[in-house]
Amino acid sequence: MNPLRDYELNLTRRQLFGRGALGLGTATMAQLLGSEALAQTPASPDGLHHPAKAKRVIYLFMSGGPSQQDMWDHKPKMREMFGKDLPEHVRDGQRITGMTAGQKKLPLCPSKYDFQKYDNNDQGVWVSELLPHTAKVAKELCVVHSTFTEAINHDPAVTYIQTGSQIPGRPSLGSWLSYGLGRMNEDLPGYVVMHAKTNFGEQSLFNRLWGPGFLSSEHQGVLLRSQGDPVLYLNNPKGVSRTDRRAQLNALAALDETQHDQFGDPEILARIKQHEMAYRMQTSVPELMDLSDEKDATFTLYGEEARKAGTFAACCLNARRLAERGVRNIQIFHRGWDAHGNLPKEHESQCKDIDQACAALITDLKDRGLLDDTLVVWGGEFGRTAYCQGKLTEKNYGRDHHPRCFTTWMAGGGIKPGITYGRTDDYGYNIVQADGTPMASQPDKDSWTPGSVHIHDLNATILHLLGIDHQKLTYRYQGRDFRLTDIHGHVIKDILL
Amino acid sequence: MTSRIALYATLITAALPGSLLAEEKIDFAREVLPILSNKCFACHGPDTKKAKDLRLDSYAAAIKDRKGTSAIDPDDLEGSELIFRIHDEDDPMPPEEDGKPLTAAEKETLTKWVKQGGKYASHWSFIPPRKEKNAPKTNAIDFYIEARHQQHKPAISFAPKADLPVLARRAALVLTGLPPEPKILDPLLSDQSPEAYQKFIDALLSSSHYGEHQARYWLDAVRYGDTHGLHLDNRRGIFPYRDWVVRAFNENLPLDDFITWQLAGDLLPNPTTTQKIATGFVRMNPTTSEGGAIAAEFQAKNTFDRTETFGTVMLGMTFTCCRCHTHKYDPITHDEYFSLFAFFNSTADQPMDGNKYDHGPVIKAPANPGEWKLLQAFENKKNDAPNPAASFTTTTLIAQELPKPRVTKVLQRGEYHSPSGEALTPNIPAVMGTLPNDAPRNRLGLAQWLTSDDQPLVARVLVNRMWQRIFGYGLVRTPEDFGLQGEQPTHPELLDWLAVELQEKNWDLKHLLRLMVSSRTFQQSSKRRGDLDDPQNRFFAQGPAFRLDAEVIRDIGLWSSGLLDPTMGGEGVKPYQPAGLWKTLMHPASNTKNYVADKGAKLYRRSLYVYWKRTSPHPMMTLFDAPNREASCVKRSRTSTALQSLALFNETQRIEMGRKLAERIITSAPDDKERLDHLYKLLACRPARDRERTVCLKLLQDLTKRYQSAPADAQALLTAGEAPIDDALPAAQLAAWAQVVTTVLASDIALAVF
Repeated sequence: MNPLRDYELNLTRRQLFGRGALGLGTATMAQLLGSEALAQTPASPDGLHHPAKAKRVIYLFMSGGPSQQDMWDHKPKMREMFGKDLPEHVRDGQRITGMTAGQKKLPLCPSKYDFQKYDNNDQGVWVSELLPHTAKVAKELCVVHSTFTEAINHDPAVTYIQTGSQIPGRPSLGSWLSYGLGRMNEDLPGYVVMHAKTNFGEQSLFNRLWGPGFLSSEHQGVLLRSQGDPVLYLNNPKGVSRTDRRAQLNALAALDETQHDQFGDPEILARIKQHEMAYRMQTSVPELMDLSDEKDATFTLYGEEARKAGTFAACCLNARRLAERGVRNIQIFHRGWDAHGNLPKEHESQCKDIDQACAALITDLKDRGLLDDTLVVWGGEFGRTAYCQGKLTEKNYGRDHHPRCFTTWMAGGGIKPGITYGRTDDYGYNIVQADGTPMASQPDKDSWTPGSVHIHDLNATILHLLGIDHQKLTYRYQGRDFRLTDIHGHVIKDILL
Repeated sequence: MTSRIALYATLITAALPGSLLAEEKIDFAREVLPILSNKCFACHGPDTKKAKDLRLDSYAAAIKDRKGTSAIDPDDLEGSELIFRIHDEDDPMPPEEDGKPLTAAEKETLTKWVKQGGKYASHWSFIPPRKEKNAPKTNAIDFYIEARHQQHKPAISFAPKADLPVLARRAALVLTGLPPEPKILDPLLSDQSPEAYQKFIDALLSSSHYGEHQARYWLDAVRYGDTHGLHLDNRRGIFPYRDWVVRAFNENLPLDDFITWQLAGDLLPNPTTTQKIATGFVRMNPTTSEGGAIAAEFQAKNTFDRTETFGTVMLGMTFTCCRCHTHKYDPITHDEYFSLFAFFNSTADQPMDGNKYDHGPVIKAPANPGEWKLLQAFENKKNDAPNPAASFTTTTLIAQELPKPRVTKVLQRGEYHSPSGEALTPNIPAVMGTLPNDAPRNRLGLAQWLTSDDQPLVARVLVNRMWQRIFGYGLVRTPEDFGLQGEQPTHPELLDWLAVELQEKNWDLKHLLRLMVSSRTFQQSSKRRGDLDDPQNRFFAQGPAFRLDAEVIRDIGLWSSGLLDPTMGGEGVKPYQPAGLWKTLMHPASNTKNYVADKGAKLYRRSLYVYWKRTSPHPMMTLFDAPNREASCVKRSRTSTALQSLALFNETQRIEMGRKLAERIITSAPDDKERLDHLYKLLACRPARDRERTVCLKLLQDLTKRYQSAPADAQALLTAGEAPIDDALPAAQLAAWAQVVTTVLASDIALAVF
């Protein structure tokens, strides 16, 4: 009798039935049959429903809504419209937030920053002076100018883009990936979340953004922290050595085995296994966090900030180290992009936080041969308005939330490098067709309009690159087969290699 | 691999309804409807748009003539189009591209059903429950469990009775969330008679820990939190509701009152303060006051949330689908959703919470047991004292109705700015019955319907969740969904019997729980059986076994170490938590951005009282599968993870518990063997087994040597936590024992019901 083997079979069978009502998605079946529990091999890197272009994803989430107007979406004609009221036909009934709804005027607000056109592999891409480093990796980026959402406030919007629903309760993107793909490295968490420091911590984040929703809680994101233990409760308490812990774990296994002899509950054996994994994590995580093996060139590339724990640069460096170690699912949250007023001061600081490190991450991944199968995503929950919130001057202004268009970029992992996708009108207010004419009707999530990328489309595309069909990755809850993309989502094939 | 897949295929087929009952009459509700719902209704269900399209959700629709054929042809059953199409290999139904093909067994079931007449019947959970005539009068649990044992191949019987210590521990854990106190355990172990067991159960049911434990499940369901949940996630003053729930369980308030007060306490004639506090249920949804948010949008969102949570908690139904369109599976229309929504759409609270602790309407409410006592005395008219409410030191959110109800219309696609059609009168979905004639069209009328005799769902949903608490799994394994897509009950007659018993016995929760823990079914050994192929215990032919919830795991440590502070209720407490967890998430203006751990006794209160910040609950809760309480949860996942292991060994309070429990056992007896027996007695209700003794004493010996040679390490270990150190004990001995205890506290006997 091999109790561990019995346990594995039992567990698998139990999980099969546990999904309920025979509503097994392909995902679950593949995951179970291919899972380490049975075969002792990592979950298939070849993708769940089709071959994966990306084995892992690094998602750089800019919480608060970065201003596409000042960073990516160049609108030279706006210069001539300084201070003029946003034309009614442009707004076209668009609801605006309570913060600017009371303003007598919605004065157009051109960016004060210079834009320059950088070569990519297509027509070139305009990038503002706020992002000099990122501009230099333009040949690797697919810059999407036509991302859009319906939500106009942070909490619903960030919950929407990360969980597919504006109301809390659904699993996060990362949890779906964990559920669908399992993990490649058994000594590190499969889904790692980092919070980068910022000078403008304006918007709240919520556990639900990396939470499992109704999926099993093993799929929740694990925080890799810059304060205290890098993983919660990782370190032994003072006065307890690694040898002591080994002795404890040996004793614990013996105690649990006697209990298993008595009752035969397979869960007991599952726990013994997890204790061992925890023990291994106690060395694999410090090894991950120890930057002493990094050459000086690393810090030239990422900047000296990367030596300071918790900076965005340090998080990016960690992301690369995690990627190297087979962690599939890495997310960095950078807050402070909610520039209702004093946008120039705030965005200059924000861009300084991220610019060099974003470029470094791309360069570094590429140099190490990892970019081809690592998808990097950059973006926030919505964009910012073409009109000014508060007082408008040439030098200073603020912008309100804007859901109708915003810029995200992606790189690596099966994304066409060096292209742009989607266009907006001369105001940077509405998405337009490729030739600049307004779309016949506003794009909406119910039917895909070429050139537009709803956040469900973005998520569908991310899943696609990881080998997942967003329509097939489902979980039966409350009688319904739920998906990250609800009943929407369209893979944007034009931007795939 | 091939054989493994084949094994699963066999198991799946075997599990299918129908295949076991080859020649018998097909039971539509139990066998056919789940197939139609899961495989056909997505296109041919209640929400089918065009009149000309085929619908399969009623007999009338299925027999309708459609260009000379009909899905079910009453005159030529064998020639029915349905039979033809599901067997059509070129163009099968459902279409291949939908990815939900019928299995062979499902085709067979459908075919037989059509050939037998193709008649329809209501979904089981919409028909009011009835007791069968032949059912035992007093306790039918074992009768029905045993009846189904015959259906296992080969037939099986009950497992032997569990050892008394195991049973005592099990009963105490499921009823009170703590191991039994020696003062009630010892008489049981020395007596062993059935009467002694009943006395033991009575003692558990009358312990105040009982209400605390039972309340916790309800708080998950209603998504209780101490913060608003959205955006700033500021403090919310509603803990008197939580304390009321605990008290209601302890006082065994009949569940019909329990429900009515929560839904509509404010609408009762001359409502008491207590009844108003109970309406916190209505106010429990997450709210926001984010700058720029649109009030009308959140009026709709808040009411969606209330309507849908009401559905999950009270009816075991999911209404979320019909927020935007008629339900695809369950017979609930878009209009009906908004008629239900209308019950909740006229409360007086503003949709935006102002980020305020006392977002009105609020009332003054008891903040501690003393104030509760005053209130209770007043409300029971035990004295002539004036209403003590004016002296209460906190407030709580309550529901209150607007003088003039808001107009509710259908919101097209669930969008707040797209109302359409006529104003709706509050009403319930027709498939679930009708409102009592004299019931007012408000939350009180809704409550009257819920608690009326013929209400088909409430009692079933409640007893199912009770069963789940006691046995680890429900009789319906999808407690959140009693609709067409949910699982069928494993023991439908038993579920119905229990539901009716609850109604007949004045909604007496303790009575039902007593029936459950007194059953032979509950008292079986949980040792896995070789003669049983039932990993999920669907036959209940072995005792319950499952990992304990986060709160219970922590409470066992506090209780056994003597640290547990028995104070009940009050503002949420803050035990140790790693620094910075809240700060890194929160808006600078949030009043929950700084976590300041409590001092003294509040560190050691039951976990039920731990402060629940919804956007970042305490990690010792979420690591062990507690939900975040932003949305209703009626079934927690139970995982085993490496992060749990780290927490069990390294979290400050775990170390502290280990030390205090070590002090307790060291001072309890002169030698290590007895000390260890004491430890096991506390946690497992029995002395240590031989192997456990060998293992623990060996570890003790090794660690004692180790700490004798490294006194600084011993000292360092002992300083974790605030609780004072017993200086009289040698540091090395205490440190070594502390680590042994921590290890035992991380083992199965402190983590699981078995």
